[in-house]
Amino acid sequence: MTRFIFRRILGLLLVLLGVSVFTFSLAQLVPVDPAVVALGQNAREEQIAAYRAELGLDRPVVEQYFIYLRRLLQGDLGNSIRTRRAVAADLLDFLPATIELSLAALLVSLLLGIPLGILASTQRNGLLDALARLFALVGGSLPIFYLGLLGLGLFYRQLRWLPGPGRLDTTMPPPTQITGMFTVDAVLTSNWPVLQNSLAHLVLPALTLGYYSTAVLLRMTRSAMLEVLSQDYVRTARAKGLRERWVVLRHALKNGMLPVLTTVGVTFGSLLSGAVLTETIFNWPGLGRYATTSVTSLDFPAVMGVTLVAAIVYPTVNMLVDLGYHLLDPRIKLD
Amino acid sequence: MKRAIYLMLSLLALLGLLAACTGVQPAAPASQPEAPAEQAAAPTEEAEPAEEAAPTEEAQPAEEAAAESAPATREETLIFAQDLTDLLSLDPAVVYEFGGIVVVGNVYETLVSFDPGDPTIKPLLAESWDIQDSGDMWTVTFNLNPAATFASGRPVTAADVVYSWSRAIDLNKSPAFLLIDVAQLTKENMQAVDEQTVEVKLPKTVSPQVFLSILSFTIGAVVDQAEVEANAGEDMGSTWLNDNSAGSGPYILEAWERDAQVRLRVNPNYWGEAPALKQVIMQNMPELANLQAAIETGDADIVQGLGSEQVQALEGNPDIQIVSADSTILVYIGMNAQSPPLDKVEVREAIRYAINYDEIITLLGGGGKLVQEIIPAGFLGHTGQNPFQQDLAKAQEFLTQAGVAEGTEIEFLVPTGLAPGGIEFSTLAAKIQNDVQQIGLTLNIQQVEVSELLNIYRAQEGEMVFIYWGPDFPDPDGNVTPFTNFEAQSIAWRNAWDNPEIAQLGKEAAIEQDPERRAELYQQLVERVMHEGPYIMLYQPTQIFGLRSNISGFKYDPIDTPNITFAAISKN
Repeated sequence: MTRFIFRRILGLLLVLLGVSVFTFSLAQLVPVDPAVVALGQNAREEQIAAYRAELGLDRPVVEQYFIYLRRLLQGDLGNSIRTRRAVAADLLDFLPATIELSLAALLVSLLLGIPLGILASTQRNGLLDALARLFALVGGSLPIFYLGLLGLGLFYRQLRWLPGPGRLDTTMPPPTQITGMFTVDAVLTSNWPVLQNSLAHLVLPALTLGYYSTAVLLRMTRSAMLEVLSQDYVRTARAKGLRERWVVLRHALKNGMLPVLTTVGVTFGSLLSGAVLTETIFNWPGLGRYATTSVTSLDFPAVMGVTLVAAIVYPTVNMLVDLGYHLLDPRIKLD
Repeated sequence: MKRAIYLMLSLLALLGLLAACTGVQPAAPASQPEAPAEQAAAPTEEAEPAEEAAPTEEAQPAEEAAAESAPATREETLIFAQDLTDLLSLDPAVVYEFGGIVVVGNVYETLVSFDPGDPTIKPLLAESWDIQDSGDMWTVTFNLNPAATFASGRPVTAADVVYSWSRAIDLNKSPAFLLIDVAQLTKENMQAVDEQTVEVKLPKTVSPQVFLSILSFTIGAVVDQAEVEANAGEDMGSTWLNDNSAGSGPYILEAWERDAQVRLRVNPNYWGEAPALKQVIMQNMPELANLQAAIETGDADIVQGLGSEQVQALEGNPDIQIVSADSTILVYIGMNAQSPPLDKVEVREAIRYAINYDEIITLLGGGGKLVQEIIPAGFLGHTGQNPFQQDLAKAQEFLTQAGVAEGTEIEFLVPTGLAPGGIEFSTLAAKIQNDVQQIGLTLNIQQVEVSELLNIYRAQEGEMVFIYWGPDFPDPDGNVTPFTNFEAQSIAWRNAWDNPEIAQLGKEAAIEQDPERRAELYQQLVERVMHEGPYIMLYQPTQIFGLRSNISGFKYDPIDTPNITFAAISKN
């Protein structure tokens, strides 16, 4: 197991190196000077030249890359051209909000998708199955932004059951920062009003973001379970006179979970990319919005920072999925 | 199932780990609010009475502040929602973005200022000033108001003023060129004559009027030297000033949650009239639909930047007032004066007469008003003349004079996205293309990102370029120099238009002391640029605000800093 993790981490480092070369080269292809963009149209030529020098843009490209790489190895992502702060500091400001949102969405899809999928599979072609399939069909075909706007329009503007966009009510100061995830920080500092408020603010964006992956998980769970439930060992278990619930949850589910696990890994990726839209609609100050603003203002250090975070998250989730296979089915070897 | 839970937990643990990294850095600012309390507490423990006298004075404001910081109720709070994505810094020597300027303008004060709606300079921290011609230089002397104090309780002194401007020059960030290049201010040429008197010497090429306008802007704001020096760090306090303030204005910066909100609370030691509202929260809200919802529900008291669609939806709502105000921006098309056929004055004039301006204003649906000169409305020297109206016969005549063949093609660079005023650049461009087609000229629209467009424009490589301009400081010279002076390497240069005669007129007008004569000179200049220049001036965008009906005292003034004075706003 340790060897497996070690090997994966080594692989991750190679991926990061590749990603850094790739994003750096891409940045060179854009025919625009980031210093011009950052300083705006009123800036004088000397000002731009000075900022170019400060950013090191006046040096040869290869040299720029090695300077970047050297700093990266020291854990320094460089300074954002737009915000002029350390990219790492920016990421630390915005990443927790996105993680909180994505985790909440993941929870939604796990808690809804898997149980509904199991139910649908056990009552194949029943009413519940039909409803679940309809739910999945809608989830798979509705665009996120439409769903988000619909939710806001109904539950915030019309019914006023849920709060509007943002992570907290405007007048509520955020909790003392520990992890940057408001719900977690509120629990850690026993700040119950903030916990309640931030949870209320999470409901709509998490449902919006999680709906699509719920739909995917539901369908995956249903079909995986249907396949497993038709196998001989399940028939044997039933023949033994085991209770149906026991057969489904104890015998079938474990084997049915393998493809579902793969799907969870994949959907987590889609959650992160979906976060960009959800964050825009729900005024959620997260990484997605930071990435969008950085891309449009050609803030390459920031874009590369975001890319590296994504390049860490995806392989790590994959690694966890592989570990998960092993846990679910010890016959699957990690090596 | 148990395994699945185990798996989920490990996922949670990983993300927790990722987030745990965040704990390290922000811990510092989080512990900061406690620091003053400790400082205040420490002296009281000391037994010696001689030393106790001084610290208690310092402790008092801290206590008062603590009393004031009891959370303001919703009635005492102004929630102002707008797009604050541009917020980069809250240090007066660094800030140069619309959102940041509003914050800094309400927290810091300048020596001179404008009153909303009046383009003449008024006293603020300086009670009076005097401009003397001392031979080879101008000598400007300011007398500070002795009543003025910082939020810390310390008086605003001449030394603070000199420190603040020197600091801005040393930091040399985006707005510093206003002091360094435009006003040609040097550290040697300013001095604190006594506690209350600041003396500045300026080269004769600089307009003292322009200097005063620049001083009314955030770059001229006065910071509390003692406070900033105590927290200087490695960047003269710039980083510290992003989360703290050291000004003399009616509000104090309480917190800046990046990309989310800025919270201001009332300055308990404010030397002027106390503001009505104890707290102001500026909420970042880039989405128009969210702005509309926020004002409809009353979650926000004021929203800025509504589009025409939102205005339509909100009009008639008894809870909401719609207020529109001029911006300082001008949307225009630049024509490269070296690039055939645009190098001929007649061709440029023909295009100007080919465009149907009324229809453009209709398209904008309240998002802008017709302005055909290079000085925006609200500024000294604005003439209010709009001589161009679509006249195809006249346009055709000019074109014939120039001898330009029908079907001549011109590249037309158009930015992607929304133009100021809330309509797509491409929509306006298509309209103009259609108008110009009627006189036989073909505009080939090329849409690019603004950033890319600026690169091309800056390199003099555009033929026709659709763009906008906002002046750096609230004086006509903030537009006239860039639009007319080729050597300034700004707009005139980008359009390869070099007219030394008009540039000279601009220089004269800039340093003219008599406001009436100055306005006359600008009028002459504006009229010449209208016909000889390489520009099609289209419109001045308006900012549209939504206000809850219980809000009063709201004014938006494009030339005043801040554009919105929170201290004047109250709720009924």
